[in-house]
Amino acid sequence: MNAMSPTPSKKYDLDFARWVYDNVDGGDRMALCMQCGTCSGSCPIGTQMDHGPRKLFMMIRAGMKEAVLTSNTIWNCVSCYNCVVRCPRQVPVTYILHDLATVAVREGYAQATESDNARFGKAFWWSAAKYGRTDERLVTAKYYFSFGFGEGYKKGMANLPIALGMIKTKRMHLGMPHKCKNTGELSKLLKKAAEMEAKKHG
Amino acid sequence: MSDTTPRSRTILVVGGGIAGVTAAVEAAEAGHDVVLVEKTATLGGRVAQMNRYFPKLCHPTCGLEINYQRIKKSKRISLFTLSSVATIKGGPGAYTVTVKTQPRHVKPNCTACGDCATAAETEVANPFNYGMDKVKAAYLPHTMAFPMRYVVDPIVAGTAEGEKIKAACKVGAIDLDEAESSFEIEVGAIVWATGWRPYPADRLTAYRWAEMPDVITNVEMERLASVDGPTKGRIVRPSDGAEPKRVALIQCAGSRDLNHLAYCSRICCLASMKHAAYVREQYKDATVDVYYIDIRAHDKLESFVQRLKRDPQVRFVKSKPARIEPGPDGNPMVCGENTLTREVYAEPYDLVVLATGMQPSLAEDDRPAIAADFDDYGFVFPEGESIGAGVSTGALDVSMSVQSATAAALKAIRVVSAG
Ligand SMILES: Cc1cc2nc3c(=O)[nH]c(=O)nc-3n(C[C@H](O)[C@H](O)[C@H](O)COP(=O)(O)OP(=O)(O)OC[C@H]3O[C@@H](n4cnc5c(N)ncnc54)[C@H](O)[C@@H]3O)c2cc1C
Ligand code: SF4
Ligand code: SF4
Repeated sequence: MNAMSPTPSKKYDLDFARWVYDNVDGGDRMALCMQCGTCSGSCPIGTQMDHGPRKLFMMIRAGMKEAVLTSNTIWNCVSCYNCVVRCPRQVPVTYILHDLATVAVREGYAQATESDNARFGKAFWWSAAKYGRTDERLVTAKYYFSFGFGEGYKKGMANLPIALGMIKTKRMHLGMPHKCKNTGELSKLLKKAAEMEAKKHG
Repeated sequence: MSDTTPRSRTILVVGGGIAGVTAAVEAAEAGHDVVLVEKTATLGGRVAQMNRYFPKLCHPTCGLEINYQRIKKSKRISLFTLSSVATIKGGPGAYTVTVKTQPRHVKPNCTACGDCATAAETEVANPFNYGMDKVKAAYLPHTMAFPMRYVVDPIVAGTAEGEKIKAACKVGAIDLDEAESSFEIEVGAIVWATGWRPYPADRLTAYRWAEMPDVITNVEMERLASVDGPTKGRIVRPSDGAEPKRVALIQCAGSRDLNHLAYCSRICCLASMKHAAYVREQYKDATVDVYYIDIRAHDKLESFVQRLKRDPQVRFVKSKPARIEPGPDGNPMVCGENTLTREVYAEPYDLVVLATGMQPSLAEDDRPAIAADFDDYGFVFPEGESIGAGVSTGALDVSMSVQSATAAALKAIRVVSAG
């Protein structure tokens, strides 16, 4: 996809829907959405989304670009795929929400870097890219300390009993982080993928 | 086909629902011989299974009775029930068709007195009521059956009970030795009027029709509301026989859905308006919630929707429900998002009716290789020698089916008159 929507500075952009149809992963099928509400009704955390997918798609059509890219809906999706399985128009709702989240990051919206889920996503990706695995301790630590040292320490202490419980039941390990076999190959692969994306869409 | 091939001016109509019956009488009254082949034991098709039908909420007898009279008067129509087409050879103007007939075990001299049914003990699932109740193994398909003749289920042939049933018939109409038979006919044109069947509700897993007795389909609702249905016309919950206070109707259950039927089934919005009316006529206090994507009331039928909208106890909720969950008391709970208010709801009901759509009744394996074309959904694609009438060609209501059947009769007449 393109790195940026045509006019990133615009709050409202009547061309936004067309751009999403053409550039966002699954956006071509979003054009077929008939506003039935099955997706938002299927969502296990639907009540914790400010808009939910159906309304978000309507907002895209209405050109409400900033409201869409600062919505918590794109970050709160837990990838359960309930909506994708049930959508009568086979709209890949999950892909669209995730790709809109990357658009929000690229366009530099504060919500896209400061929300809880954005911070967690970043920590997750850091571990996955570095080790080829997610290490529970490191991901959690990275996420907690993204709020600053004091806040991170507080969060860590508050959740210590959970961590101890997890260690006891062997859900969290001590010692060296889990790693995949050849992390060097992994970073080459990721670098290449980034190059390809940059070249393809510039 | 060479010019010397003898041509037949007889028209074969496959399927004896309202469309097939109409095509047959129209062609016969225009002077053509017609062979009408019906798979079940009686004419009438799905219309006979309706409680009443829109637009005027008349009883199905209105439409069927007059056509039965026309068949009786006509000397040109040969009717074969319990029959279907096995093979077709030849081409337009000269088809050779093999028709297969299942045994009815009851001869035409049956007077429909019902003594055989009194004698019978074994019960079998009643297809007329979609299996919601049972009938005796000697039964009349339904009160409007044509021919008005009993059927003996093959299950009792060769048993002591069978002999008892046979002995009970005073006119000696029962023939337990009747076997499956087949015969060939020469016809010039074939009209497919094979109709529809309800989309299987068990495939809509999120709506739990198969698990929850108080989640029913619209065709089951028609039977519940009918005086000759399993509850003698009382709309009650299948689980405990209680009168429902809160009823939900769910539109587009399996229609307009790429995972099920991609097309709009066209009649189910109006069928649900009937169902809201049935409930409100029976129960003063009952409320009905209609869950819809958009209400599609075709043609002149908008006024029917408006009539129900004026009833304060009928509520319209713009939402396609995501799923049905068992509530705390086991009652069905309809869950989804109200798309006008953005509220995520979970509403408990006593009875939920799924407005399941119509799919072509001819299954893929039964489709003939010649004399008919089919579209992507399995509906007859009418062009050239491929002639369809009624819902075999697409989702239609009764009046549109009748129009399409009249058109089909005309096309068939053209085919047999050509050359
Ligand atoms: C819930 C519901 C409510 C409805 N209510 C209304 C209403 O109120 N008003 C209205 O106008 N319409 C209503 N309809 C639509 C109506 O049922 C159809 O328009 C009507 O049944 C069409 O008639 P038909 O003859 O085309 O098909 P059918 O009624 O399906 O008849 C087809 C006949 O062909 C026979 N057949 C099938 N396959 C074969 C075969 N291979 N060989 C031989 N015979 C075969 C069948 O046994 C049947 O007798 C409703 C539909 C639904 C789902
Ligand atoms: S379920 Fe699909 S069609 Fe329905 S509102 Fe959601 S995305 Fe649109
Ligand atoms: S007629 Fe109504 S209920 Fe039936 S598929 Fe069409 S919109 Fe849905």
